[in-house]
Amino acid sequence: MKIVAVTACPTGIAHTYMAAARLEKVGKSLGFDIKVETQGAMGIENKLTEHDISQAEFAIFAVDIAVEERDRFNGVKVIQVPLQEALKDPHSIFAKIQH
Amino acid sequence: MPELLKNLRQHLLTGVSFAIPFIACGGILIAIAIAFAPMTPTGPDFSQTPWLRLINDIGSISFKLMLPVLAGYIAYSIAGKPALVSGFLGGYLSDQVKAGFLGAMLAGLLAGYVVDLLKKIPVSKHFRPIMPILVIPILSGAFIGVVMLKVLGAPIHSLMAYATDALRAMSTGNSVVLALILGCMIAFDMGGPINKTAFFFGAAMITEGNPLIMGACAAAICTPPLGMGLATLLQKGLWSPEEQEAGVAGIIMGLTGLTEGAIPFAAADPIRVIPCIMSGSAIAAVIAMVGKVGDHAPHGGPIVLFAVDHRLAYLLAIVTGTIVTAVSINLLKARNQRLAETREEKAA
Repeated sequence: MKIVAVTACPTGIAHTYMAAARLEKVGKSLGFDIKVETQGAMGIENKLTEHDISQAEFAIFAVDIAVEERDRFNGVKVIQVPLQEALKDPHSIFAKIQH
Repeated sequence: MPELLKNLRQHLLTGVSFAIPFIACGGILIAIAIAFAPMTPTGPDFSQTPWLRLINDIGSISFKLMLPVLAGYIAYSIAGKPALVSGFLGGYLSDQVKAGFLGAMLAGLLAGYVVDLLKKIPVSKHFRPIMPILVIPILSGAFIGVVMLKVLGAPIHSLMAYATDALRAMSTGNSVVLALILGCMIAFDMGGPINKTAFFFGAAMITEGNPLIMGACAAAICTPPLGMGLATLLQKGLWSPEEQEAGVAGIIMGLTGLTEGAIPFAAADPIRVIPCIMSGSAIAAVIAMVGKVGDHAPHGGPIVLFAVDHRLAYLLAIVTGTIVTAVSINLLKARNQRLAETREEKAA
């Protein structure tokens, strides 16, 4: 199953990237095809294309701040959680998808 | 209600995340200008050094822009692009009426919610295209302007003036209590929302002309990863190879002022690690406060040393906090291991 994700924290220098790495690792180990976009202090990196988003069945937002260019995700099922959850218990996020 | 508060936090943090680089740019430029200019009893003297005055002015303008950006992106987080106008206006006016960052936060929230309401007004489809570029900005901008200039500006100004005066005039006892609380907040969630609240309070006070709060925060920010790193170096036997590796990473992150470096340790053993890093940070913050350490950059750790007043006291604060954290966590760890061993012996 294809999944897209966005991570973003207020300062955007550490947590944003730690959460992205964690989601990618756990997602892949559970057999998901996952691409994670980071919205940190450098702006949007590893940007999700229209194609990525249209192919995805779910979007995970692990964010403490507003998601930039949110319009892109209109029509996609979004699961939004606080960023801490992606660091502490990423499995619970993927469990939400499997239900 | 909890949903509303969670959203409120998200909106405020969005504004903060856009504002932080402006504080960093302004604070560091001003600190550089002050560091090279001759100091007089009335402040730094730029009359002989036009270049330093220029750098100082650029820094001050970055500070001034911080308020519109803060308010603008709080509003943006609530209601998207159409809210930027009234948010920026509100933040700029907050500076004009001297209502400071508190006023800017309120203006941003108000602007966002007003635009959110205006967006919900049903209009015929002929009118719809002009709503976001004409009707909403004009109506919400005029509304925020009137509110800031005629209604909220004055009371927030007096509140801010009162708070800033109270902070400046704080007796040593009170400022020590403040430093203690800030230190605990900084360490508690290592870069999470509680940490950010204390951090942004410190950063905002730099722009209000009081760098002491940030000084206390800056010392507290780096001791959790530094302390955990030192602990792994002091008694290798207590720590697994992975933890020793995380310890080295922690020292590097501590030196660059990233509290996040302590997270691997706190995640593995929160009940022992979090109190130890909180006490280290609290002690570091108190020493920095008593030593009148001022930090002109919204960042912590040894990396901002050049932007700090009273550098010796700053280093003393960091070293002491680091040692307190390292020694206390190692004592607790060792005690835990001994208990585990005696339990095994009894079982055998």
